Amino acid sequence: MNPIAEIVEHKEVVVCAGSGGVGKTTVAASIALRAALEGKRAAVLTIDPARRLASSLGLKELTNKPTKVNRRKFTSAGLAPAGELHAMMLDTKTTFDEVVMQYAPSREQAERIIANRFYRNISSTLSGTQEYMAMEKLYELYVDGRYDLIVIDTPPTRNALDFLDSPRRLTSFLESRMLRWFLIPYMKAGGGMMRIANVAAATFLRFAKRIVGSEVLLDTAEFFANLEGMYDGFKQRAGEVAALLRSDATSFVVVTSPAAESVNEALFFGARLNESGLPFGALVVNRVHPKYGDGVRLKPRRLAKLAQGGEDARGLATLLAVEESFMRVVRLEEANLDALARKIPRHRWVRVPYLEREAVDFPGLVAVAAQIFAEDGSPHPGGG
Amino acid sequence: MLLEQFLAPRILIVAGKGGVGKTTVAAALALVAARSGRRVCIAEIDRTGTLPKLFGREALSYDPSELSPGVWGMEVVVEEAMAEYLEVQYHIRRISRVLTGAHFIDYITTAAPGLKDIFVLGKIWYLEQGRPVAGASPKFDTIIVDAQAAGHMLTFLSAPMGLSDTVQVGPVRKQSDWLGDMLRNPARTRVHIVTLLEEMPVAETLETTAALDERLGISSGAVFANAVYSEALPRNDWLEAHDGARLGGAGGLTKPLAGRSALRSEAKAAGINLDDEDFDALFAYARFLEARQKVQRHHLRALRRGTARPVVELPFLFSAGLALPDIDRLADVIQDGIAAL
Repeated sequence: MNPIAEIVEHKEVVVCAGSGGVGKTTVAASIALRAALEGKRAAVLTIDPARRLASSLGLKELTNKPTKVNRRKFTSAGLAPAGELHAMMLDTKTTFDEVVMQYAPSREQAERIIANRFYRNISSTLSGTQEYMAMEKLYELYVDGRYDLIVIDTPPTRNALDFLDSPRRLTSFLESRMLRWFLIPYMKAGGGMMRIANVAAATFLRFAKRIVGSEVLLDTAEFFANLEGMYDGFKQRAGEVAALLRSDATSFVVVTSPAAESVNEALFFGARLNESGLPFGALVVNRVHPKYGDGVRLKPRRLAKLAQGGEDARGLATLLAVEESFMRVVRLEEANLDALARKIPRHRWVRVPYLEREAVDFPGLVAVAAQIFAEDGSPHPGGG
Repeated sequence: MLLEQFLAPRILIVAGKGGVGKTTVAAALALVAARSGRRVCIAEIDRTGTLPKLFGREALSYDPSELSPGVWGMEVVVEEAMAEYLEVQYHIRRISRVLTGAHFIDYITTAAPGLKDIFVLGKIWYLEQGRPVAGASPKFDTIIVDAQAAGHMLTFLSAPMGLSDTVQVGPVRKQSDWLGDMLRNPARTRVHIVTLLEEMPVAETLETTAALDERLGISSGAVFANAVYSEALPRNDWLEAHDGARLGGAGGLTKPLAGRSALRSEAKAAGINLDDEDFDALFAYARFLEARQKVQRHHLRALRRGTARPVVELPFLFSAGLALPDIDRLADVIQDGIAAL
């Protein structure tokens, strides 16, 4: 059976991961689309979709809530979905605000945190926040129970591994004993010099103050002071999210292109999932150059002779040269994929050929979905 | 444009969305500069590890190392850049491990989000000024910055100008004006953007160039359209006339056309034997190429319409392994492309 079809049938959460530029968003949206066709209530959580794709899914703005894709999109593509497709774009800041609202002991405390400048910086720029909030949102949708299948795209990180590490980095930062111990007494002392027995703490404060100024230091101290009492809630939630990702309900789909760089990244990522006890489900090799025939091998001198002939001969010579170029890239990609097959068996893959058109609109997604779910690697026309 | 003109600014920043081939273009630009006898340093900002692999190396470090004759490479590790910056600007020595700990960096760069960028740009400035560093690294004639993805790149470049929400506060703000001067002076810095001729990269490139022009006042630099299928194809009517498969119906070729027989005899005359399957493959590739070229031309037009910057087309490398010969070939194309501007 097609490994992705199997996942759609049995799992509730699909996490699409991979390095930048391999088509993760398209793959995620296509999987959800297919699930909807088959009668599921499916939701796709995208991070940063191409504008045309977003508008094609009816996502005009960040609402941070899934919106149902209009049925007419399907019917105008000649499809009759038995289920529903919902789509959303993640709004990191709003999600973070919601988390704060949920865990703050009082509304006033939540508002104080949300108004704090240091908090605003964290929620918009600290690395790991987007990843953390993506997982948070995923969990929220899962617990909500309204969807049979949730497919999530992951943020475009420098490399695919960052996405696994970043949430931990953010929580460890928020929980940093050092920051809490240093900064809270600092605030209580009104930002003035105080006696700190700890040399490291004193050094930390002295330099931080010189670099960012005392005003910023006070902002931070206030932030950490307001966060007191919320750590247990954060920690518990993070634990629940981690448990969901490790559970039987979840499957990771690694997306790669056949380029060497991307293949290496995918292998690395697969190994990392294993180490972390996260369930690898399937691999999507996206944008494979098509292979037609086995290639005509001929001596350069014959091609040169042809190229000197009449119009037809020259035309044929051009076609042969084009084929030769494509066969070179096809062979290169095959070699890369052979290396991949030694680590991840081919029955766990699907190959999606480089299509003649871009998958940036609804019919494009339908075409990609048809390729992903083609059982024997050859395309089914029509996507249904 | 004369190569001399193109390489006159010593800092060339290469930016673009993830996966478009920034590092490859940065490396090719480095070869172009090195060919004219310049000492070049490529500073990699996003730690992807792609750059050293292009040159057959395992990894780069903060201290530049020579990758190929005249081309040096380094990785701008934020922690190291911070330590250097603090040492130069604040005379703070690395006296305490507190300062190099991850939490200190996370803390101060979160407290003032533009700081990380200031540290990194500070390092570029030191390279430009030829500040001596550990080891015997030379003063460089050209510094090529392999920058991060476009969105981050804008934040990165605006950090010293106080135009984003970043470092608006604190002592660092006052010190970073000289970095803004460095970036905005076209005699010192150019920002080149790499893109693919696809929907999202082109849209992002246009947003980036507009933001650079209007918001940051950095309007110089070219756009490199990468991985263009530049292979020649016979004219469309010729393809129509000779492609028998077109008339074959759903089951493929049923009746070879007269056009194919003509081609078959041409092939035979040149000593080449082609069967029906070969012809199917030849025309299938031609059609595929035709379709992709059409998509690319559409995006190329949008790109040219959307920006006043010169566009240099770089070919899709059918041998696209990651190795020096490919970079060398791209360098040739870039050299020709610059000459044609």
